[in-house]
Amino acid sequence: MAEILKLENINYSYIDGGFERQILKDLSYTFEDHKFYTILGPSGSGKTTLLSIISGLDTPKSGKIYYDGEDIEKMGLGKYRRNKISIVFQQYNLINYLTALENVLVAMSETDNKLPKNHKEVAYALLEKFGIVKTKADRMVNQLSGGEQQRVAIARSLASNVDLIFADEPTGNLDTATEKEIVGVFKELAHEYGKTVIVVTHSDSVSELSDQRLLLSDGILKDIS
Amino acid sequence: MNFLQRAIKNVTRKLSKSVLLLLTFFVIGNFVIVGLGVSQASENAKTMTRQKMRAVVTYEVDYDAINEYINSLTDQDAIDEFYSNGYPSIKISDVRPLLEDERVLTANALVHSQLYAASGNDFVHLGNQVEEEFVNNEMCYIDADGNEVCEPYSQPSYFLKANYFPNMIEFQDGSYKVVDGRFYTQEDIDNNANVVLVSQALADVNGWQVGDVIDVFTLDPLSYNDPSSYMYGIGLTEEDVKMSLEIIGIYTHNQAITPSSDNFDWTYPYENPDNMLLMPATSYMNFSLAQAQKSYDYYAQQYPDDPYYSDPANYPSIENTSYISNATILLSDPLDVDGYVADYSGDIPEFMMINANNEEFERLSKPLDTIGLFANFIVWLVVINAVVIITLVTALTLKTREYEIGVLLSIGANKLKIIGQFFVELAIVAVIGFTLSIFSGSLIAGKVGEVVLDYQITESGVDQESDDFIGNDYISIWDNDYTTDITLDDLVGEYNVSISPLIIAEIYIVGLGIVLVSTFIPSMMIMRFNPKKILMNQN
Repeated sequence: MAEILKLENINYSYIDGGFERQILKDLSYTFEDHKFYTILGPSGSGKTTLLSIISGLDTPKSGKIYYDGEDIEKMGLGKYRRNKISIVFQQYNLINYLTALENVLVAMSETDNKLPKNHKEVAYALLEKFGIVKTKADRMVNQLSGGEQQRVAIARSLASNVDLIFADEPTGNLDTATEKEIVGVFKELAHEYGKTVIVVTHSDSVSELSDQRLLLSDGILKDIS
Repeated sequence: MNFLQRAIKNVTRKLSKSVLLLLTFFVIGNFVIVGLGVSQASENAKTMTRQKMRAVVTYEVDYDAINEYINSLTDQDAIDEFYSNGYPSIKISDVRPLLEDERVLTANALVHSQLYAASGNDFVHLGNQVEEEFVNNEMCYIDADGNEVCEPYSQPSYFLKANYFPNMIEFQDGSYKVVDGRFYTQEDIDNNANVVLVSQALADVNGWQVGDVIDVFTLDPLSYNDPSSYMYGIGLTEEDVKMSLEIIGIYTHNQAITPSSDNFDWTYPYENPDNMLLMPATSYMNFSLAQAQKSYDYYAQQYPDDPYYSDPANYPSIENTSYISNATILLSDPLDVDGYVADYSGDIPEFMMINANNEEFERLSKPLDTIGLFANFIVWLVVINAVVIITLVTALTLKTREYEIGVLLSIGANKLKIIGQFFVELAIVAVIGFTLSIFSGSLIAGKVGEVVLDYQITESGVDQESDDFIGNDYISIWDNDYTTDITLDDLVGEYNVSISPLIIAEIYIVGLGIVLVSTFIPSMMIMRFNPKKILMNQN
């Protein structure tokens, strides 16, 4: 296994009621590729903040993040998000005036990564792989169920052909059966597609299925596998 | 699914929003088109009318300025001193620099005189009442005792127009045309050449041809032969008043007098344009100088004690006899008139003026100016409001797109592409809205223009006086007024509200500019936050 993402002395704080609240304290950790990680932690421990920082949606107060040895800040956070990672959100974050297929195509059109030319067929195939058949793929996303929307979001995250996938409480809005299904997909992504999947969750049932369980507590990550 | 495709999907799938925006652009477009249409119609009407007018300016004595100056003098000695220096007059040397401008085509600085035909030569007859009454070469009047007294009297047959410059406005604008020979040149002017151009009609009457030399008299031949006459008294001989001129050109003109012309019966032979001779002013002034000097000598002998005649400065010379009442300068483009006047008004001698002769034009165009001002005000008001309204509408629309912005940023979409998408969405709607407004706005602008123009004409009262300025067909040879009479009808006739391609281009450019600005600012306001914050605001 090779190192894919390295966090070095990450600090993050914010002012709350006039007091500085330290969320991440000199946090350092190295993620390896082809693995399915889950990050656990009590509410307010900073799980989502950590995910935002390592996915380039936010910036730390100090510290460095290296993707495949390259400082993501120097790379450019936009470029990092566009070409190196993808994110699956709890709220799916799909564009509501587009169909499922079109949402996947958006990610394909934005990335600079090399993709097959036949975007549409690839997108249909991806969606179908996650249980979204063609008739559903052509529906507006708000006509799909929560589970289906999350699958579309996962398909979108794979569409840009990145190696690192983040997910923030991806099963938070789903029933247990769908949750299992989605976690199975993440596992499959890590083990069969060679992706690194980092999932933030508060669900033990999700974390139990991961390769490595991390606990965010007192601003640092502890391996609790 | 690039940003352009997303934009089109958004416009077509969020129809109610698109229709509302379209209506906003449509209404704004109508206001702008009405404003611009009416404003441009006013400007066009003025420009078109100005183009119809002759592009002439006059260099003349500014009598108002002289009167104002004299009225400002409280000391009689100062007033006397002012007059002792001679009343301000136009010198040809002052006119020359004004003609060096490339906008100038030619100029008329004319000297006029009546001339008498030599024996055997005729003039072009009109066959009117005046010719019948003077057929006996006598002028009759009733004396103090009630008796009719008739004395020999010759009518001037010809009229001289002598220019200080080669070419004349009449030839430049096509009202006169040389049909044989040539016009006199600068060399002819400089050499005081005794050359003349005669009308085709006059040449035909007398059988004259180019190259012939003709005699004309500057004074009545009867008077210098009459011992009782003043001319005889001062010793003028036939040689003093006879000019022998070589015909160098024959011309035609479009100022024919017909029985239907105004004042036909009382048009004297010399007033008939057919009887007009054209020669260099220097040649004529040089000839008449001899007469003036002979007259001066006579009076100097008669009144040896008169200080006027003892002052050598008063002896007639070319310098102190060659003056003109005004110079008319023809420019190539009527639209250059105001600029030309502005450029030279500061460089001319005191008490002289360069007159654009457009007082009447300016008076009549006042309603159009008011409409133009009003329309411009409307346009600015609408544009400012449009910027605010479109910016607010866009900001509100984009506020609902915050989530989408967050999503797109989270997948690494370029900020400019996101702005580009929103711009294209609004631009599609704006272009449709503006295009529709061009059709409706044209109709509204036409109606509004008519109503406002009628109202302004009535309010300003210019229609009350317009009849006074309608020109007539009467041709006066003394008339040096080369300006064109215009009427309110001329201006109103040119007032035509139409939406030109320029306005349409302006609408699209300004409209899309507003859309771009109003898209860019709110988008950047949202995107100044990082994607996490944008998404958190939504969630």
